[in-house]
Amino acid sequence: MLTVERVEKRYGEFRPALVGVDLAIGRGEFLLIQGPAGSGKSVLLRLLAGLEAPSKGTIRIAGEDLARMRPRALAHLRRSLGILPPGDSLLHRRSVVENVALAAWVAGAAVEEGVRRARAALDLVGLDVERYGSAPCAQLASGQRQCVALARALVNRPVLLLLDDLVAPLDEASAARVLQVLDHFSEAGVSVIAAVRTDATGVPTGAPWPARSRTLRLLDGRVAG
Amino acid sequence: MNYTTSRISALREALRKTLGQPVAFVLVVGSTAGVLATLALGSLALWRAQPIEAPQWMRPQALVLAAGAAGEVDLAATQAALRKVATVASADFVGRDAALAELAQRKTLSALGLADLRPNPLPDAFLVGFAAGAAPAAVEVAVAELRKVKNVDSVEYQPDLYRRMSLLSQLTERLALLLGASLVACLVIGVALAAAYWVRVDRDEARVLHLLGAEPAVMRRPYVYAGALSLLTAAALAWWVVAAASAWLEPAIAELARQYSLHWAPDPLPPWAGALCCLGSALVGAALASAAARLAARFS
Repeated sequence: MLTVERVEKRYGEFRPALVGVDLAIGRGEFLLIQGPAGSGKSVLLRLLAGLEAPSKGTIRIAGEDLARMRPRALAHLRRSLGILPPGDSLLHRRSVVENVALAAWVAGAAVEEGVRRARAALDLVGLDVERYGSAPCAQLASGQRQCVALARALVNRPVLLLLDDLVAPLDEASAARVLQVLDHFSEAGVSVIAAVRTDATGVPTGAPWPARSRTLRLLDGRVAG
Repeated sequence: MNYTTSRISALREALRKTLGQPVAFVLVVGSTAGVLATLALGSLALWRAQPIEAPQWMRPQALVLAAGAAGEVDLAATQAALRKVATVASADFVGRDAALAELAQRKTLSALGLADLRPNPLPDAFLVGFAAGAAPAAVEVAVAELRKVKNVDSVEYQPDLYRRMSLLSQLTERLALLLGASLVACLVIGVALAAAYWVRVDRDEARVLHLLGAEPAVMRRPYVYAGALSLLTAAALAWWVVAAASAWLEPAIAELARQYSLHWAPDPLPPWAGALCCLGSALVGAALASAAARLAARFS
């Protein structure tokens, strides 16, 4: 499904953000990338999403080398991925439903079909569509916005989910519900890669992560176990 | 928002971008129309003045006085020799009797009793015209050559006058070129900046669309349409300004051209010219907006 071979990422002359990362994930696998802030988790996810190119090494999704793909093909690839970037990536002036439906519309869904799928995805992540559906995203709490962003990542029924800092803005109950949903997706064959920050003692924030998940630890841009 | 990949949606987005910021739209369209109208009026004037030739009074001329003893055969040979000198375009013979008769007809001179002069004191002469656009230095060399021709007594030529006129003509041409180039540059930069501004305003949306896998061409489409729409509106406005200005200035320019012996053909504008101008402007607007959106997306 996805292979990463000896990937390195440098930004100018500074310390490399990633060095010699190898990784392979099959269909339906759930991978947790753990590490403290600045360990390279987000950079790795951006490389996997084709948003940036690695300085060295190769990344293949379904056998295709991302570095050799043209912008149009990369765009096509991203439409089949579910991407949750870190921080706030919503359009604040647009409504909740519009934000989620946007991903479906970009993928070519008709307007009504996009709205229908958006409502279903919002329902799946536990956001009250009737209450919040037409509200601008600016009016939501950070946890609710994270749910909207996750619904947007799920709306196109992706084959691979790339989730960065998923549970940090969520309360315990929401986090548990969201992780349960992701577990179901994974069982249904969707590959999930989630980056999660560890605290000072090395314990990942947000719990409980699915028991079937595999862990990759990053430290200073290198695989630490 | 109804964002889809269709062209109708892109057009709706383009309308939202342009009409949603009316002040920016009016500024872009108004300034672009002004530049387009100035360029169109200049081009139209050039077209109507075709073929552009310097009138007789602007061409350098010299008066060549023949020696008193020259007979008719000598004068014909002299005229032929004058015509052979480089840069000389014409050498017209002005007989001494004809010159005296012409002088005597002038009211200011008739009182002097010129008609009664016996014998005629005026010499036979040749009015030598040089090629239009000849360099002043070349004309001065030719004048020196004229002085060496057999049976030529003297040559009257005012080198300073032609040098000044030549310099003024060169300066006018260069200023017109500079103005035209500046206007075209203003047009290109103005439209490109407007498109880049729209992209910058929507950069959050562009970032999200990029993340979700929108194709670059689809993302650029609303900006391309907005650029085309802006220049189409500007061209239509400019065409109206050109038509109004032409109607207003035409009689005065035609009279001025007649007074200065300049060619001027007040042909009416062909009906397809306006449509072609608008279509061409829309295509240029689309191309500029596409390039600006591409650049802005790269640097945002």
